[in-house]
This record gives sequence, C-alpha cells and structure tokens, in this order.
Amino acid sequence: MSTAPDSLAELLQSAAAMQASGRSVLKTMLGLGEVEVGTSEKRCVYSEDKIRLYRYAPLARSAGLKPLLICYAMVNRPYLLDLQPDRSFIRELLHAGLDVYLLDWGYPDGADRFSSFDEYVDGYLRRCVEFVLKEHAIDSLTLLGVCQGGTMSLCYTALHPTQVAQLITMVTPVDFKTPENLLSKWAQHIDIGLLTQSGNVSGDFLNLVYLSLMPFRLTQQKYVNLLQMQGDRVQLENFMRMEKWIFDSPDQPATAFREFIQWFFQENRLIRGELTLAGKPVRLKDITAPLLNIFASKDHLVPPSASIPLGAHIGSKDYEALEIDAGHIGLYVGGKTRKTVPAAVTAWLQKRN
Amino acid sequence: MSAQGPFSGAHAFSAGFLKAWVDQAGAIQDFLARLADQSSAGLPPSMPPPHLAPWKDFVDRLGMGSVNPAEMFPGVPALGLGREYQETAQRLLDLSRQFQQRYAEFAQQNAAVMQDAFHVMKKRVDAAPQALKSPAELYDAWIDCAEGAYAQAAHSDGFARLLAELCNISSAFKVERGKLTEQLARHLDLPSRAEVDSLHRQVRALTAALRAAPSPRGKPTKRAKK
Repeated sequence: MSTAPDSLAELLQSAAAMQASGRSVLKTMLGLGEVEVGTSEKRCVYSEDKIRLYRYAPLARSAGLKPLLICYAMVNRPYLLDLQPDRSFIRELLHAGLDVYLLDWGYPDGADRFSSFDEYVDGYLRRCVEFVLKEHAIDSLTLLGVCQGGTMSLCYTALHPTQVAQLITMVTPVDFKTPENLLSKWAQHIDIGLLTQSGNVSGDFLNLVYLSLMPFRLTQQKYVNLLQMQGDRVQLENFMRMEKWIFDSPDQPATAFREFIQWFFQENRLIRGELTLAGKPVRLKDITAPLLNIFASKDHLVPPSASIPLGAHIGSKDYEALEIDAGHIGLYVGGKTRKTVPAAVTAWLQKRN
Repeated sequence: MSAQGPFSGAHAFSAGFLKAWVDQAGAIQDFLARLADQSSAGLPPSMPPPHLAPWKDFVDRLGMGSVNPAEMFPGVPALGLGREYQETAQRLLDLSRQFQQRYAEFAQQNAAVMQDAFHVMKKRVDAAPQALKSPAELYDAWIDCAEGAYAQAAHSDGFARLLAELCNISSAFKVERGKLTEQLARHLDLPSRAEVDSLHRQVRALTAALRAAPSPRGKPTKRAKK
C-alpha cells in the first residue's frame, strides 16, 4: 500500500474531519434522551401470561378486508414493525384501511421455561386467533407471520386450515438446512439439551450469535459510520431506535427454544413432513389458503434459499413468491421498501377479497 | 508433650505426621480454651482454623500445600463428607480448562481469518492502487475483505464444531455452577431453583386441568331486589 505524501495529507485531513464529526455526534447524542418506539395507537384486547394481543386504532376508512393478525417472532421484539411514525410497516397497513392485530410474545421468564413449542403455536396463538374470530363473528382471518413467527404461522395454518383465509409469510425459514444458512450450520453441533438444561436462553446469548454472523460490520463499521452522521439529530434518533431494537432480545423459554432448534434447525422436520405438534401431524400440504411468501434477497439471517422452497410443499394453488431487494431488517424500515412492501401486501389481499 | 525427641531419628514422613498429630491436640486444647474465654471472643480470621494449622504445616512440608487434592490423584473419586462439593468443584475446574483450550484454538482461527483478510486486501490494493481514494473507502474495503474471509471460515464445518464446543462447555459449566447455587440456597433456606421449578410445574398442571375441565353451565344470575 502506498503512503505517498498526498495520501498522508488526505488521511490526516480525513481524520480531522471525522474527529469533528464525532464531536458533533457525541454532543447531539448527549441531548437525545430515551427514544420512542412503537408509537402507533393500540390497545390490548387479550392477554394471557406474558403474551398480549393488541388491536391498532384505524387510520383510514376500512378497506373491508378480513382482520389481519401479525404473528411476530419470539426471538425479537415486534415493535420493529412500528419503529417510528415514518418507518412503520403497521402504520402503512392501517393507512390502507386494514384492521391490524399484533401478537406480542412478551419477555418470557423462569415461569415459562417449561412451556413447549406447541403450547405457543396451538395454545397462545390459537387462542389469539379464536379471540379475533369471535370478536368479528367470522370463521377465518388473514395471518401474517414474520421470520420465526412465519414458521409458527405455517404450523398453525397446517393444523387449522379453515381458520386462515390468507397467509402471508415474511422472511420465513422453511428449509432450515440450505448451504447459505450460517445460523443452521452453527446450530448442528450444539448440544441444545445441555444449553437449555439450566433454564431459559438469554437474549444476550442470541445477540452474541447475531453479531457473530457479520462481526466486522455489526460491531465496528456500524459505529464508524455513526461518526459520519455529522450530529444530524433525526439520523441519530433513527440509529438509536434501531440500536435499541437490536439489543432488546427477550430470553427464550427453555423448552420451546430447545424444541424449535432441535426440530427445525437440526432435524428440519417441517419441510420433511415429520413435525408433530400437540399430538397432530403438521403437513405443509394441508395449507390450502392463498399464500404470499415475501423474502429478502440480501437476508443474512434467513437466506432466500430457506424461504423459496415453500411453494413446492404447500397444498395451496394460489401461491405467490415476492423477492425484495433488501436485508432481513431493511425489508421493514428501508428507504423504499417501507412503503412498497406494505403496498404489495395490501394489493395482494385486495385481489383476494 | 513433645514430638521432637522420640521421633527425630525416624522417617521424615512418620515424624512429621506424629508431630502434626501431637501439635493438633495442643492446638485444639488451646482453641477450646479460647472459645470458653469470653475475653478472647474475637478469634483471628485465619484460614484454616487454628486447630487445623498443624495439618497445613504437615502438608506444606510434604510439598503438597498449594496443590488441589483432586489434582494429585486425577480420576480418583472424591471421598468423605464434602465429596459432592469436591466433585462439582473438580468438574468446574476441568470445564474451565477445556474452555481455555478451545478458546485458544478459536483465537488462533480468528487470527488466521485476519491474516487471510489482510492478504485479500493487499491484493486488492495492489491490483488497483488508485481505486480507493479516501481513508473511508479504504476502511470500507478492509471491512469487505474481513467479512469475506470470516464468512469463508465461519461456513466451514471446523468452525461450526469449535463454536459448538465452546457453547457446550459453557452450558456444562452453567449446569455445574447451578448445582452449587442450589446447595447454597438450601443451606441458607432460600427458595432454590428446584423448588421454584416444582411450583411452576404445579401451576402448569393446575392450569392445564382447568382448561380441560368442562366450563360450568352459566346459570342466569338473579338480580338482587332493590
């Protein structure tokens, strides 16, 4: 590498500029305070143990579509979908006239360590679905599952096909053993029984795993880029909201987590048709509802290869796969996608109304 | 009583042993006398207790003072009153060692990743020296190279196995540590994990029974007459 005098001068100049920007960033951050997340108006309509079912206040005239229940993942907090008013997947759906419900799994603690995966799917999720159906006096609703919540939604729809009129899966793993799936590769040799023997798996452990997927970008470059924000308050608030969300991972209930890792990651039971929940076989072929499968081309957590095979395994004749040029998170909060993805969801639902 | 004269010519081990025995008797007498005497209630916080000090001297003279007994005879089961604690302590020690070994391998692997990244970066800069115009671009290029090298290693089976071993050893350590915590909680009459788990299981069983029970037929409630 050359260190010509002009390069050196440029280096020093750049370092000075970064130092100035860094000072400005720190000064602005000192006055930021606590950032707000999940600000769209909602009320809790059903609760049980740690879980909460929220119904969002409408923001537009009803589009006359079936109520939409969002089943988010247990491994992260669902406010990513309503991070801030101008970056809110949920708000966009509300603006389109949808009646949106959100299932929040909460923060499991020691009292939940024996709760099994099927209790989450065929217990909590089922009772939330039944609550919405009863509330609206209808037989079926639209279910939208995100990431692990998508996998849970697939299981639920396979178990209760008549209750789901339309199913939308977003960045959802179906085939857990594809060559691009780094998380899966790491999970293969983990003694998951031993890991969960001493209780719930901490959110910090999950965070460490996520960071380890791209350590240089996620622990270094991101913060160097932060220094280049020139003390822009809005940008810094956005950054802090995302930072808060990233490290706000709930502890995982030991039994359910063990079962999820073993059955899905290690044994790939769902796609192999070998999964049984609550004593009933979970067959993807039993899913006959129209299905929209959205995946992100740059997803490092759930690579496209983990989501794409879904279409070949379900019983539905109305299947659409939608590839979005984004990452796992950018799908919801990215510059363009935060508008285009909810619009695509709404359009797909309207066509099937 | 003196142990010096009669044992002085005997085998060093026997002499040491008997001297410790005799000294211990004296130390116990002294210790009991001090306990009985309220004026000397504030005994010095020495470890081991004064009456065991002769044994410590004996062990030290044999050159075994700073050695963990479990380390002297590896594989031999622990004996006596504190055997459960000894075994747990030994397992914790073993697991710590295993973790250190694996972590050293892991650090080596990461060092190799950094080396690979550096080579890739050098090739990239050598191939197009003018392409990276600013330090920021140079830094971003370095991150790309580092992530590329890391991804290659991280996808390998060896990396996955090593990572899993680190995780499994940590999990085993946590289990052993939990046993000690459990014992401590019982000694202090505090709610232990096992006790709380047992209660959770009971609550879960009750909840399940309640859900399974047929819902009581709602009888029309009579309004109270005003």
